[in-house]
Amino acid sequence: MEEETYLELYLDQRAAQDDLIRPRSPLPSSIVPFDVFMPNSSTPETAFSSLLEEVEEASGDFSSVDLSFLSDELTQENKDPAVARSKREIEESCKTPRQPLPSEQDAGPDLNSRLSNSHSHLHPGDADSVQPSLEKSTFLPLASITPMTPMTSVSECSGTVPQLQNVVSTANLACKLDLKKIALQARNAEYNPKRFAAVIMRIREPRTTALIFSSGKIVCTGARSEEQSRLAARKFARVIQKLGFPARFLDFKIQNLVGSCDVRFPIRLEGLVLTHQQFCSYEPELFPGLIYRMVNPRVVLLIFVSGKVVLTGM
Amino acid sequence: MPGGGRCPDCGSTELVEDSHYAQSQLVCSDCGCVVTEGVLTTTYSDEGNLREVTYSRSTGENEQVSRSQQRGLRRVRDLCRVLKLPPTFEDTAVAYYQQAYRHSGIRAARLQKKEVLVGCCVLITCRQHNWPVTMGTLCTLLYADLDAFSGTYMQIVKLLGLDVPSLCLADLVKTYCSSFKLFQPSPSVPAKYVEDKEKMLSRTQQLVELADETWLVTGRHPLPVITAATFLAWQSLRPSDRLTCSLARFCKLANVDLPYPASSRLQELLAVLLRMAEQLAWLQVLKLNKRSVVKHIGDLLQHRRTLVRKAFRDGTAETEPQEKELQEQGQGQGQGKEEVGGSSLDLPEGKRPASPALLLPPCMLKPPKRTCPMPPVPMVTGDENISDSEIEQYLRTPQEVRDFQKAQAASRAAMSIPHPP
Repeated sequence: MEEETYLELYLDQRAAQDDLIRPRSPLPSSIVPFDVFMPNSSTPETAFSSLLEEVEEASGDFSSVDLSFLSDELTQENKDPAVARSKREIEESCKTPRQPLPSEQDAGPDLNSRLSNSHSHLHPGDADSVQPSLEKSTFLPLASITPMTPMTSVSECSGTVPQLQNVVSTANLACKLDLKKIALQARNAEYNPKRFAAVIMRIREPRTTALIFSSGKIVCTGARSEEQSRLAARKFARVIQKLGFPARFLDFKIQNLVGSCDVRFPIRLEGLVLTHQQFCSYEPELFPGLIYRMVNPRVVLLIFVSGKVVLTGM
Repeated sequence: MPGGGRCPDCGSTELVEDSHYAQSQLVCSDCGCVVTEGVLTTTYSDEGNLREVTYSRSTGENEQVSRSQQRGLRRVRDLCRVLKLPPTFEDTAVAYYQQAYRHSGIRAARLQKKEVLVGCCVLITCRQHNWPVTMGTLCTLLYADLDAFSGTYMQIVKLLGLDVPSLCLADLVKTYCSSFKLFQPSPSVPAKYVEDKEKMLSRTQQLVELADETWLVTGRHPLPVITAATFLAWQSLRPSDRLTCSLARFCKLANVDLPYPASSRLQELLAVLLRMAEQLAWLQVLKLNKRSVVKHIGDLLQHRRTLVRKAFRDGTAETEPQEKELQEQGQGQGQGKEEVGGSSLDLPEGKRPASPALLLPPCMLKPPKRTCPMPPVPMVTGDENISDSEIEQYLRTPQEVRDFQKAQAASRAAMSIPHPP
């Protein structure tokens, strides 16, 4: 069928470009332990092992297994911009933010608890320590679990770090609120009970919006970091306090983080959906981007042909 | 009356089904004789008066199925017949609908959503068998809008955990092109516009493959690209007569709707062809523009693999060390990763071919938007002190509250005036 020959041609082209690198990959004796998140859940392992098998079966495909067994000096070769490797590079560039975490603490249990605190994994500030993390991760005690797709820092070459764009959090003020009174006495509030059963309040610093419900729960959106979101939620609680309600500040929780980044090379979305079919959803008739639901970590990525990637989810 | 029974008394065929309390009876409307009582018969002649019962009513399979589900299943079968799908597709689509119906969220959904669900099941079946049906077609047939369709489609794929392959571009080209009414002369289609189907199909396929290779298809709706490719293929097969015909007129002639993005896809495709033409020696001297390049599409398509490789370079090739080496070796003729030897091109001395353009999707070729520089995110701990004055700026003074209340009352009074007391 024409479609199959076209696919073969496309993969052959990529094969021709990558043949330079293939012969040099050493055998997987120096296994770089991959995922220190593993102890928390067993299902991601199986998901990744199935992914690994599926990726290896695809003929001519450059599974992340091949290139990730390269030793560090050979990672320079990875600057070769084979577009087919974009799939793997995206996965690894998205794993970049997680690398700094192992570098900060070597102690096993500490690492575990920090890693299970899932909302910190997209912090952009730590990305500078990417270089030493690779070496350090080999010595982590937790890392002796079956290595799946080993994590090389190909991201060092791409250097792309997702920037946080939005943080959504919730808090409980633990008192019943009179929304009409709040809408009357606060300058920055809007309340339209026929449309929505909550007051929409905005503050300038940090520039955020909150939905305040009569049960005393609030949803705070628009902050660009977790700390800013917490500060903003506290400010909203303080406004409610000043309006005469016995508001407290309980159960603050980050619900969602949204980040974006640019890998700076075009991405063949139809190729990506062929190799990662169980994770991808690509409907060009509906939406120009590809929706990649990554299993470990549980993140949803919107991948566009221009190389821009939006990451979201907890 | 159907059933062909005769009253044993008067011989009339006017038998009516009536019921006497709970028992259904067949009664002659002329003489009033009761022909059959209930279902059990007593004599052989009675048996001749029994009515046929459809299979679905006799097996009771529909008694467990709710009416709305039955309606939905009927709609699925009807839709499959309208689209003239093979009979096996009908069963698969019906199975998907039944599977979806087992979920409470679907059972409780509005009728509009159930209607759209019919289309989704048919679409999934077609995609899995590589039968090219676009969502637009289904939406037109169901009188639904694409938003409702897309929401239900994404939901049902996730709910049923299905693996739906992508739309097959080659098959879509075949079916879509075949729907163009240009293969037979007719009162609206003059003879010079009539084209051979096979030639047009093969050229369109090549143009669509070219578009796919040069990033014009990824991320975009496939249909406008195919429309543009069909138009170019048709024009290039007889350019002298057809260059004067515009894309809109072409679609009207062919009795096909013109999708809005098709004209911009056409421009993009022509730009790609122009770049390729710059690499062919005998075309360089002609100084082609977007109209004249159409005459040479045949040549360009014949050598398209080589020409694309030479005319474009990978967008990220700048950082490649190999390219620098080549340039140092003096091979730099502005073509970085040249695989075909330059000997095939007899370039006159001192004339450089145009430096290869970047092979990138059009969205990356546009000048980047000037994003206003984000103010640096201040390092905040989240536990800072919040000053009273800062909070007070968000509260209304008592005077403001009174003014606001007065204004609200006034506006409410103004609203209520039109109503008679």
